[in-house]
Amino acid sequence: MSQFSVIGKSVPKVDAYEKVTGQPIYAADLKMQGMLYGKIVRCMEFAHAKVIKLDFSEALKIPGVVKVLGPEDVTQTTYNTGACDEMVSDKVGHLLGDLKDQSIFTDHVRHQGDAICGVIAISEEIAERAAAKVIVEYEPLQVFMTPSEAEKTGTHQLHPDKANNMAFQLPEAMFPGNSYGWGDADEAMKEADIIVEDDFYVNKQKQCQMEPHAYIAQVDGRGRLNCWSSGQMPKITHQKIARLFNMPMSMVKIHSTTIGGGFGARLGIIAEPETCALAMAVPGRPVKVQTLREEDWIISESRHAGDYWMRLGFKKDGTPVACQARFKANTGAYFTHASGVPFTTGAWLSGMYKFGALGYQGESYFSNQAPAGAYRGYGNPQTNFVLEQLIDRALTQLDLDPVQWRLNWHKGVGDDGWCFGVKYPSCQLSECLKQGAEAIEWNKKLAEFKNQTGTKRRGVGVSVMNHTSGAMPMLLEHTVTTVMMNEDGSAVVATACSDLGQGSHTVLHQIAAEALGLDMNEVTLKTGDSDANGFDIGSHASRTTYVGGNSILEACDDIKKQLLERASKHLDTAVENLEFGGKTIFAKHNPENSITTAEICRLGVYNYMDPETGEPEGAPGQIFGFSSHFAKHNSPPFGACFVELEIDTETGEIELLELVHTHDIGRTLHPAMAEGQMVGGAQQGIGMALTEEIYYDEQGRAVNSSFTDYKMYGSSDMPKMKVILVEDPDPHGPYGAKSVGEAGLTSPVGAIANAVYNALGIQFKEAPITPEKVLKAIKENGLNFA
Amino acid sequence: MSSRILPNFDLLVPNSTSEAVNLLAHYQERAAILAGGTDLIVAMKMNYESEILISVSELDGLDYIDFDPNSGLHIGAKATVSQILDNADVKQHYPALWQAANVFATPQIRTAATLAGNVLRGSPAGDCSCALLALGARIVLQSTEGKREVAIEDFWTGYNQNARKPSELAIEIIVDAPQSATGSAFHRMTRVNEDLAKLNGSVRLDMDGNVCKSARIAMGCVGPTTLRLPKTEKLLQNEEITPELLAHVADMVPTEISPIDDKRSTAEYRLMVSGVVIKRLIEQAATAAN
Repeated sequence: MSQFSVIGKSVPKVDAYEKVTGQPIYAADLKMQGMLYGKIVRCMEFAHAKVIKLDFSEALKIPGVVKVLGPEDVTQTTYNTGACDEMVSDKVGHLLGDLKDQSIFTDHVRHQGDAICGVIAISEEIAERAAAKVIVEYEPLQVFMTPSEAEKTGTHQLHPDKANNMAFQLPEAMFPGNSYGWGDADEAMKEADIIVEDDFYVNKQKQCQMEPHAYIAQVDGRGRLNCWSSGQMPKITHQKIARLFNMPMSMVKIHSTTIGGGFGARLGIIAEPETCALAMAVPGRPVKVQTLREEDWIISESRHAGDYWMRLGFKKDGTPVACQARFKANTGAYFTHASGVPFTTGAWLSGMYKFGALGYQGESYFSNQAPAGAYRGYGNPQTNFVLEQLIDRALTQLDLDPVQWRLNWHKGVGDDGWCFGVKYPSCQLSECLKQGAEAIEWNKKLAEFKNQTGTKRRGVGVSVMNHTSGAMPMLLEHTVTTVMMNEDGSAVVATACSDLGQGSHTVLHQIAAEALGLDMNEVTLKTGDSDANGFDIGSHASRTTYVGGNSILEACDDIKKQLLERASKHLDTAVENLEFGGKTIFAKHNPENSITTAEICRLGVYNYMDPETGEPEGAPGQIFGFSSHFAKHNSPPFGACFVELEIDTETGEIELLELVHTHDIGRTLHPAMAEGQMVGGAQQGIGMALTEEIYYDEQGRAVNSSFTDYKMYGSSDMPKMKVILVEDPDPHGPYGAKSVGEAGLTSPVGAIANAVYNALGIQFKEAPITPEKVLKAIKENGLNFA
Repeated sequence: MSSRILPNFDLLVPNSTSEAVNLLAHYQERAAILAGGTDLIVAMKMNYESEILISVSELDGLDYIDFDPNSGLHIGAKATVSQILDNADVKQHYPALWQAANVFATPQIRTAATLAGNVLRGSPAGDCSCALLALGARIVLQSTEGKREVAIEDFWTGYNQNARKPSELAIEIIVDAPQSATGSAFHRMTRVNEDLAKLNGSVRLDMDGNVCKSARIAMGCVGPTTLRLPKTEKLLQNEEITPELLAHVADMVPTEISPIDDKRSTAEYRLMVSGVVIKRLIEQAATAAN
């Protein structure tokens, strides 16, 4: 029998009933008394232009239009919609060259969709019609869409401080030689018997969360700015909005609405600044700004595309002697995550294998693409696509087995993790590899496919990954929790941790119930209210269960300590002699001397005077627990993905037959949701590998900014999947848990590419691997499958 | 950019076909016909405007699917793609049409969209349209002047254009009757399962043993309209279907199409796979015929 009563069980998701019956309130659902509607006028015609004329007169003539605001009518303070600037010290931010380069409205269009002005009207329809009547004239500027175009001499400089449009490179002061790694990779490479090297391109992928961005803002009668937002990071939103409008945080309230998916798209802020600026022009009236899918597409961030060069050196026996890499990320039109992603892309690289030496250079470049930012995996899938393919290319030359080599050379307990100096405390990657290989019948299939004939060719591929549980020590990892014990012994846990749909509120609920010895329905979570919730950095970096969970455990420990102290008084026994037994505290040597936690809580609140003694009955005071928790580790999880696929060599079409996803989870807190994370992650990883990319025309305008032409795998496309969760409790995670949020996306990318390589003997250097590319490569390589 | 707000229009809901054609006679080009709405409403959210929408929703008796071995399959203009899918005669006698309906869009759209709407929309990517072109079909158009029938190969006159006059209402599609050994098949290629075709093809063969008496071959997404491939059809006529013949066919197909690069694929790819697709469809249709 499990030692736990709540965790480790697939309890019903706390919001499941409401969600399947259509009850949760998303921002788009909200209607308020006297509500006005905002429509942001965006530049759709150009990716780079100067506004030379802006005329509201025709728009203002339309009955029902309240106001039209241009760049001069709103705060001139600039900001960064990303969140990295709030997660590092100013000193580090300065070293990294972080910029706050975004404005609410602009006269310099840096990408298609940049905001020019905003219309406020009494209905959405009128706002939209008026927006169409705003006259904007543009002077087109030179458009550049890629890092190589951006750095070319003579290209327009998007920011005066950033020569050659290089938004970021690993700073010399923190990374000598602008390089992250260990040893002298140049020297070490000379010892290699074989070297594999190539240039790759990784694609611009969109999060495609189900709910398009929608916001409401209102300045209330007291002059407080209220904003209804579905951001992943409500407290960062709170801080950023207060600072942008130069208000004390006490005069800003963020109401978190139900979040319809995030995957990084709601990290930091998005259109809260525009919405709040419109609301501040009409005090008292709520203003709703709702985006269309195409609009969401171009105003919110995507995965960083980029050019990725890598060179690996090996001894004949497979010993990996050196790894060198350079990732030139395309950060798009604004800085946003320009420093974060090019660092972590190398961090995941450095965390994977025991190379003798490793040198990674990470850079990012401005372009006229829509800004790149956070997307589940945060640089990891890019590295996976490149590293895992090059490893397999070398192993083919060395005639070594991909599973066995990975078993021999992956990093593990005691090795430096993705952030040097923070050593891996737990690692079950070898077990993942072994169980995954067995589940997919690796050896059998590998042998079978060597001798296959016919136009349909099968392949198997493997890929491994390391990720993180929170971003400590690179970024601030801090979560505050308060636990209030009701007078009947049930509890209210208040934290700002958000639930993007992944189920974090259910897991946090489980952790609190387990820690307090309560049932699920004896705990409730108070979230989404910036007045009531203390600080939390927000839901990102697969941190909520790990950091939020540990914060809740700390606050519950505080509660338990107080309960024991009270019990000690009630039972007239020292705390050391007491023990918890479910909802009762009893004396170890005399179990009949006991008191329920409910009774302690009741007596604390209803602390009447005993009429006979004139003394209070029991110990007075309602019990509150508190924690202001800073993560002590980042307990990286590992995983191995195995894929079997079949390629129609006459059409280039790829059919995924089976995907075995293994994960080193520490301890599983909720099996069904953990499995769901792995399956959902795989779906997005498959998309990156096979179908998803934002394409632009020659003028820099997105041509597939909707689901008609941006194709994700649907449920009917998904392969047969098996998820294997390998448990080995981590010393730092809550009940030993490590993260599972982002990990599932990463390894399918490399595993699919490697299975294609296994089937055809061809590697694809540009993701996604489409039938068009496959068939062309088959023809160009003169391959004939019969 | 699209909009959540439709442009202004007047919705007219006639109760009979004669009332509908009278309205069309009056409004002519000013009116658009609303059936399933799965294309029209989306277009209206993009940039399409029509002053008048005439809905067929209240027209009685147009949702039939009747099969007659001599006169063929009669499909009322209101019959939905879901109805096609649920019809046993279609599945048995017109596998190409059933296969097209089976992969057509999504369950939600199949429930609303009409077969006639797919034909009238005239998209070169239309799946059911492609199957109908291979199977042989006529569009029955009615106006205040009376009825006329247009063969499907004459119906699409250009990209998103067709032979329907503004005063006419399509009331029925008649699919040619199968011969004693007719087989047909449909296939499409997409980026993911629920998608518009990047290329589709359909073949109908009238067989005598392993000899093809006559063939009808259609391909979509390779020209301004769904195309018939007459030279390829001729290669098959009165010929025994052999691997050598199929190799000839595969070489001939790309010479009859003129694909372009677009969001869904490239001209190069479409040319490379077109022959393979038709070769496989012929094998499939020949099997089905016997």
